[in-house]
Amino acid sequence: MSFSIQDLQLILPEAFLLFAICAVIAVDLVIKPAQRDATHWLSIGVVVATLLLVIIDRSADARGFSGMFVHDAVARLLKVFILLVTIAVFVYARTYLKDRKLFVGEFHMLVLFAVLGMMLLVSAGSLVMIYVGLELLTLSSYALVALNRDSPLSSEAAMKYFVLGALASGILLYGMSMIYGATGTLDLQKIHAVASLAAGSSHQTLLAFGLVFLVAGIGFKFGAAPFHMWLPDVYQGSPTAVTTFIGSAPKIAAFGMAWRLLDGALGGLHPHWGEMLAVLAVLSLAIGNVVAIAQTNLKRMLAYSTISHVGFLLLGLANGTPSGYAAAMFYAIAYAIMSAAAFGSIQLLARAGFEAEEIDDFKGLNQRNPWYAFVVLLVMASLAGIPPLFGFFAKLLVLKAALDAGMLWLAIVAIVFAIVGAFYYLRVIKVMYFDPPETKDTLALPQDIPLRWVLSINGAALLFLGLFFGPLLSWCYRAMGAG
Amino acid sequence: MSFELILFYLFATVLTVAALGVITVKNSVHAALLLVLTFFTAAALWLLLQAEFLAIALVLVYVGAVMVLFLFVVMMLDIKVEPLREGFVRYLPIGAIVAVVMLVEMLGLIGLKTMSAQALPADPAGASNTAWLGKALFTQFLLPFEVAAVILTVALIAAVMLTLRRRVGVKSQDPAKQVAVKASERVRIVKMESASKGGTP
Amino acid sequence: MITLSHYIVLGTILFCISVAGIFINRKNVIVLLMSIELMLLAVNTNFVAFSRFLGNVDGQVFVFFILTVAAAESAIGLAILVTLFRNRATINVGELDSMKG
Repeated sequence: MSFSIQDLQLILPEAFLLFAICAVIAVDLVIKPAQRDATHWLSIGVVVATLLLVIIDRSADARGFSGMFVHDAVARLLKVFILLVTIAVFVYARTYLKDRKLFVGEFHMLVLFAVLGMMLLVSAGSLVMIYVGLELLTLSSYALVALNRDSPLSSEAAMKYFVLGALASGILLYGMSMIYGATGTLDLQKIHAVASLAAGSSHQTLLAFGLVFLVAGIGFKFGAAPFHMWLPDVYQGSPTAVTTFIGSAPKIAAFGMAWRLLDGALGGLHPHWGEMLAVLAVLSLAIGNVVAIAQTNLKRMLAYSTISHVGFLLLGLANGTPSGYAAAMFYAIAYAIMSAAAFGSIQLLARAGFEAEEIDDFKGLNQRNPWYAFVVLLVMASLAGIPPLFGFFAKLLVLKAALDAGMLWLAIVAIVFAIVGAFYYLRVIKVMYFDPPETKDTLALPQDIPLRWVLSINGAALLFLGLFFGPLLSWCYRAMGAG
Repeated sequence: MSFELILFYLFATVLTVAALGVITVKNSVHAALLLVLTFFTAAALWLLLQAEFLAIALVLVYVGAVMVLFLFVVMMLDIKVEPLREGFVRYLPIGAIVAVVMLVEMLGLIGLKTMSAQALPADPAGASNTAWLGKALFTQFLLPFEVAAVILTVALIAAVMLTLRRRVGVKSQDPAKQVAVKASERVRIVKMESASKGGTP
Repeated sequence: MITLSHYIVLGTILFCISVAGIFINRKNVIVLLMSIELMLLAVNTNFVAFSRFLGNVDGQVFVFFILTVAAAESAIGLAILVTLFRNRATINVGELDSMKG
């Protein structure tokens, strides 16, 4: 019941991150606006240090703080990639934000708070922790979307995000209240034990009823169709640096949350939620891929592509086997890395007064700068799922898990829409390589060496992880306890 | 029918009517005030459940802080009501139908029979609801309690970031300077020739 | 005698009113936010009632957290609303259509 010193050891990376954020706030307060780079590098340093703390931690799986905090292989794996992606997000953001006079300390603080929320979310052992972790993440995200407070687009996107996000939280909480009523506990492990016992009893209806709201809430947070209305506007309206963040790492955290709730707490109800997720997956695949074709704005296109990728992710979750979860986890990680690279390349091309967010802005990129055209080629081909890139194996694993679970029709639907989806990614590639550039001048890339290097590494990683996906894959399988 | 049950029905009726008022009245200020009434009645209903601490917290946090914030924003923004009512009549029937159908379905699904027989057990909190809650809050729920503090910090940072603007040319007081002032800076003694009426005598 | 179902029915009614409010007040952001507050009140009533009838403290502690977080949430939401009004001079959701596709 009570607090012990071992609990602090379990939560060391999170505790360090919290104290470091306070230090960042203090430093940002005393430095002059011209020295804002100090906040930037300090923030990156904080994330790297937290990452090291997560990696060197070899302690055994345990639950701390009266079961509130779960320390296990899945949490550790998800945290490593959340932190890695966040480093890339920070590096990409620097020049973009400076050009728009948005390079403020609050950006760094809010991203760091959101990262703390995600780390707590993927380690949550109780419904309370799921709720507070999620809210820490989303409240920071609302403010980040509104970062450019003088832009009507940005505040409009923030308002939409806020209203639908708050609604999603309300629905999620209503589901949680029903589950609490049926089981009498908030602890995920205990819910699992009671929920498995309760099969057939009168509490079963209450539980199933709560589950419907829970799945709807998860669908909202993921941006799965038919709960996807907010996603395109938010992606388009926020500053690209913020889109890069909310489009990448939180997807990993959302996977963690969905897995903890659906498998960790309500694994016994898989026949119910498996079907619901399958419906959401099919709808997301259809709407995401078809509507994306009609987009001319790249950020909006990538938003619809997110919806379709969420469909794939839910397909992996829906089959309810450890190998399905491992595939979904692999997919979430792959998507976060690809998405960071995609939005990163928009930021590379953007300059002061020029957003580079229309697909036409990429015309003739190959003639202007062959290397970065190649990087964008890798990103788009990986998102489309072309072998031998990272995105291809992620899709393959999900499909294989679906086939193993006997979901043949779902797999066929997913393949059909993946082929439809390949079209709009290929259009970006076509525009870059075969259309004449609209301006004659060679591309004046920003003199931001870290940005160029990290983006190149990020692009190359898609090829590298596609060719050598074995270690990551076996890590995912081991964490999920699948053979 | 016991006295408690009569009270329950009384409060539940007020709560429902006030909540319906919140979503249907024209004026946003009236809606906010009706929401205050809703929260007050909800607090009374929680008191019937012996959840004293939360009932008082609801009044303090919602009526005292959140609703004041709402009213403040409603009055600060000069909102024209009429355009906001567009489509209200159009959506009213569908909204009402959806709500009623949902209500019937949900009540049917929850299975009223399954729990209707359950009577109020003896108060597990014993004498003090606050002590009962406090003990759980600072032992078992220590970690979320700390995270809630972080969430409040985020709200603070976000609200300041979004709304604080430093305008140029605004005259404002600097309390630090006011406090640090010395008497010699306040009063300046000027030597002057004593003046007299008319010329020299 | 008050039973658990009295409170759960009340919570359900409140929840449905809030959903109806979201449906019919699509244009007015402030009333939308108030409807969401009503939804949270429904959730809280559920939790308090379950907690009391199960004799378990967890539900009431959860309500404590919901109250705290919802207060923080409304602070941020209203800050965004003020920013929006400053930029667009409207809180009409119908006019928030600068992004299409």
